[in-house]
Amino acid sequence: MSEFLQFVIVGLVSGSIYGLIALGYTMVYGIIELINFAHGDIFMIGTLVTILLFNLLHVNDTNPPTGLALVGILLLAFIVTMIVCAVLGVVIELVAYRPLRNAPRLAPLISAIGVSLVLEDVGKLWKGLSPIAFPQIFPRAQINLGAVQVNEIDIFIIIVAVVLMVGLQWLVQRTRLGRAMRAVAQDREAASLMGVNVNRIISVTFFIGAALAGAAAVIYGLEFGTTVFYVGFNIGLIAFTAAVLGGIGNIVGAMLGSLVIGMVQSFAVLIPDSLNPSSHGIGLPHGGGSWSLAIIFAILILILVFRPSGLLGQNTPDKV
Amino acid sequence: MSVTTTTRGVGRLLSPELKTRALLFRWLIALLLPLLVFTFVWQGDYVINNVLLGFITPATALTAPSKAIQSAIFMVLFYFLVLALAGYLVASDSGRRKTVSIWLDSFVFAVVPILLIDVTNNLVIGIAVSGIAWAIFFTVRKRIKYLAEAPSSPTSLPTISNDELLQRAILGGFWLGLTLSVIWLLVDVLFFVTGTLQTELLIFTAIRTVVLPIAGYFLGMLGGRVAQRYTAAAYASRDAKNNAKAGHKSRLESQQVVPNDQPLRSSGARTFYMALLIAFLLFYPAIDQYLFGYGTDGRVTGYGDAGYYVILALGLNIVVGFAGLLDLGYVAFFAIGAYTWGIIGSTQLGIIFGTVFNPLVLSWLFWPMIIVSALVAAFWGVVLGAPTLRLRGDYLAIVTLGFGEIVPIVVLNLNQVTNGANGLVGIHSPAFFGLDWSVVTPTPYYYLVLALIALVIFANIRLRDSRLGRAWVAIREDEIAAASSGINLRNTKLLAFGAGAFFAGIAGAYHSAKLGEISPDSFSYGDSIVFLAMVVIGGLGSIPGVIVGAISVYSINILILGQLDSLATDPTSFIYPVYHTITQYVPGFTFGNIRNLIFGVILITIMIFRPEGLIPSARRKRELHRDDDAPAGAGALDIVPSDPGFEAEVRIE
Repeated sequence: MSEFLQFVIVGLVSGSIYGLIALGYTMVYGIIELINFAHGDIFMIGTLVTILLFNLLHVNDTNPPTGLALVGILLLAFIVTMIVCAVLGVVIELVAYRPLRNAPRLAPLISAIGVSLVLEDVGKLWKGLSPIAFPQIFPRAQINLGAVQVNEIDIFIIIVAVVLMVGLQWLVQRTRLGRAMRAVAQDREAASLMGVNVNRIISVTFFIGAALAGAAAVIYGLEFGTTVFYVGFNIGLIAFTAAVLGGIGNIVGAMLGSLVIGMVQSFAVLIPDSLNPSSHGIGLPHGGGSWSLAIIFAILILILVFRPSGLLGQNTPDKV
Repeated sequence: MSVTTTTRGVGRLLSPELKTRALLFRWLIALLLPLLVFTFVWQGDYVINNVLLGFITPATALTAPSKAIQSAIFMVLFYFLVLALAGYLVASDSGRRKTVSIWLDSFVFAVVPILLIDVTNNLVIGIAVSGIAWAIFFTVRKRIKYLAEAPSSPTSLPTISNDELLQRAILGGFWLGLTLSVIWLLVDVLFFVTGTLQTELLIFTAIRTVVLPIAGYFLGMLGGRVAQRYTAAAYASRDAKNNAKAGHKSRLESQQVVPNDQPLRSSGARTFYMALLIAFLLFYPAIDQYLFGYGTDGRVTGYGDAGYYVILALGLNIVVGFAGLLDLGYVAFFAIGAYTWGIIGSTQLGIIFGTVFNPLVLSWLFWPMIIVSALVAAFWGVVLGAPTLRLRGDYLAIVTLGFGEIVPIVVLNLNQVTNGANGLVGIHSPAFFGLDWSVVTPTPYYYLVLALIALVIFANIRLRDSRLGRAWVAIREDEIAAASSGINLRNTKLLAFGAGAFFAGIAGAYHSAKLGEISPDSFSYGDSIVFLAMVVIGGLGSIPGVIVGAISVYSINILILGQLDSLATDPTSFIYPVYHTITQYVPGFTFGNIRNLIFGVILITIMIFRPEGLIPSARRKRELHRDDDAPAGAGALDIVPSDPGFEAEVRIE
């Protein structure tokens, strides 16, 4: 039982990180129908920014801050990274996507791929090709929750993710800004007729989405302790799959999809290795772990075949 | 022919009338300049002299006699084609463009590349830099023309009789031949007097001085015949309608009709450019030695490798360009094709099935296996395309991306079949009845890939102009309208995936045979993006565009940056100080590292400024630059279906 819960916790943690990034993808797609390939790389730049901040503040593993100083530094890390990523997102939109607002569908997509390549190389030039260590400043203590030992950091991550997601949901559903965002996502022309400044709303969307990716960057670094220039691509791909799985354009869908993907990835290691004699040939060669990405995509394809707009997506029929 | 006609003919030859003289003068200069640069500044003279010396005194020959003969044939072809081109150009010029602009065009498009190739001593970098120069020249000229010149009406092109055309062409060819031979004679005499020319070559000089003008006469006639095929009389049904067409269409038409305002860009001139290009490609392995000295094998290998990029780009063009199905996982089919031949052509077959074919007995197996690999890849293309049929554009992209990821994972993990992470080694190369290719030179691979590319281009053109091709374009433009017109969406989409995967399979089989070993790392998402970029940069749906896109992307990706790196470490090159200053600020910098950066910036720039690609299909250019058209005149209607020219008019490209 405790093992099962361990897998659940692992799934929740990765699901939270994917969720924060998937929100960025789904919001941008909902509002301008563009797959923002560069989003995962904004996340990667966020991790590098946090490392830079920690270096500037002389924060490292050997002498980690505690108590109030820890809280302060974490807060600072979140704020700074989120703002830097948010600004980066807005700049990217201005430079690479806005000129292509009226171009055929493929053009901004290719441009997004171009931005992704540029960001990856910036990461490569900044910090080199090999993985970089992230200062592990969060205390590695464990809490005993009855049947299972949980890391404090896992609880922290889940709480942060939930707070941010709830905050976003509140923003989108209960504020004027959120109403404007939903209006632009639904019908851009009608929204502008209603007095909504479409360009500004789109920039705000990118701002928020990228800020969430920045938050994801901080908690990713704290949890896994390492980052590398191509991490953005891998995680971005999975996060985007999660967004599509849940129904792209749908915020709750993105959270749900990320949860599912997180769980699948966590439980996939349970699949036995068919090459191992003790499994009697059942399972997959080399065990479920190395097939997790394939399993995720297979699930995605299956869901899309039977429910083409994703789990929670609305089936908008093609209009003539 | 009577004596009087002949005399008048010769008389006309040697002293043309005033109007023709002006035309002759401008084209002579325009063509002489590049010819002289090619011959004396670059390598033309050097190549010819060395080939001849190789024949006269075999001991000093630079290369084997077969290569020398090929080089000789190429040189002859080159000069003859230029002479014929001269005839065509003189015949087809309407005379209305300013002479200076023609000279400027000739300088930028012909002289600049030759000079750059000479300076950098590198074919690819030279052409790449001249590509940038051309782009700058184009944009600047378009702006200036827009401001300065009012567009001349193409409906008032001067008419000219066929005989007059032929006469002008003959004059053009003859005079170019004559001037060239005279100049060359003077140069040779100068060299002989200063002692740098061998005496034996004087015989050749004498022959050449006589042959060139005569050849010019006949080749000019050839050029004139080509021009005659394009005269207004030959476009009888369209000619009357010229007055009724919208500005853009008439401008396009006027590029084809002779005489015309832009003879350098007309369809007739393009036949000559194609002929020159084909001659160059065919004889390249032989002349490379003369042009660049050592390192021929490396270069030919590199170009042989570039070939499979072209095939892949053409295949992806079917899926993304024709049918509009955004495929981000194309590398999967490439991998399938490569592994199919890899498994069968190496000892892996023995590991799986317990039998190995003896390569000495079944050495010809590669040839049918190309088709088999292609069919296997096509089968998987249909299988992987089937779940995507109901998906909208962006979901389709993600699912294909997923497949692009799944296939390498499968390949990596199915150890028994694919040997997992270690990859396959020792894959047999193609063989021609016992003559094994892997041994000596890369030249057979080069010709093989040229042949494959030719076949693939032919197949693509036939597909594009077929009913299936039109169905693909219809699906791309508007699925619902296509379905209402009776197109079976499911079958057509599956055929698009299958056809695209088929060509990927061909490229895969060639790649694994040439490389001899493959592993799962060589097939990744990054490659899919590169293939997509090739198609998009070149021009979606346009076959010449995609080829140019593939070559440019391959050059940037592999050739240029790699060579910049090796130049950067060479203290004598001009890159060295630049490299040194940069590495002081950015320690991790190498040209190879910033490859993706440059790539990304190029993609973004092209998407913002020229989204239709480098060489767009005619339709796409009209779509994307609709507001650039000159306003249509009164009564300018599109051609109506009842006109005899309607069928030709609605042809897709």
